[in-house]
Amino acid sequence: MLDEKELVLNPIVGESVQHNARTVSNIRALTASLFGVAAGTLGLESYPGFLFYFIGTAVVSVLIFALKADSSPKAYFFRPVGDLWVGDLFGGLMSFVLTWTLFYGLCKA
Amino acid sequence: MTFAANFLNVIGVVFLSHAVYSAYEHSLLASRSISSPVPSLPLDITLETLFSVLLLCIGVVLSSPDLKPIQWHVWAGRMEKSNEARLVTEVGVGGGNPYAALEERPGFWDVRGAQKAFGGWLRESGEMAN
Repeated sequence: MLDEKELVLNPIVGESVQHNARTVSNIRALTASLFGVAAGTLGLESYPGFLFYFIGTAVVSVLIFALKADSSPKAYFFRPVGDLWVGDLFGGLMSFVLTWTLFYGLCKA
Repeated sequence: MTFAANFLNVIGVVFLSHAVYSAYEHSLLASRSISSPVPSLPLDITLETLFSVLLLCIGVVLSSPDLKPIQWHVWAGRMEKSNEARLVTEVGVGGGNPYAALEERPGFWDVRGAQKAFGGWLRESGEMAN
């Protein structure tokens, strides 16, 4: 109810929402694999490894906020807390674990 | 901007590959030596890995496409300012006159003017036929 009223007062361009979501999802997938490479070469094990991933995703969110969203997430994301910050945490988790196990096997002999 | 982003990406990849290769060599060294306690990864390899990942993250974010504004009034302002975007009329493309729904309201349609124009067109085509 509150959502619809808000949308009538300040309408949203759907195409832009899709484009932004796609861009952020691409960034997250790519950086998730990168964090996996780093975790693997550093030889991180269970809990520190996942912690590394979550910290890294938070760093990437800050980067997107500062570099791409011009420090005003309201202008680019409908629900900034949901889309930009918390976002798609578990989508990139699979790529992270994939590259993590790959490079861990490589660098731990 | 894109030059800096690509530069950061390249440097990040170079450093990361160097760090991964160093870690691989370190693991080979550790496995070949007789001493049982495995030495932990040297500090400089760790720092190089973290630094290269940071550079790559910044490069990836910088080289990604710009975010588009979602507020309708900002988007409509951009559409109105660019003449090429206003002339686009296909559906579903990011262009067109954003206020078309307001400018072509049926209640404000000029009926007499349209009747006159139609009558004129009929007369013209009648003259051309004769």
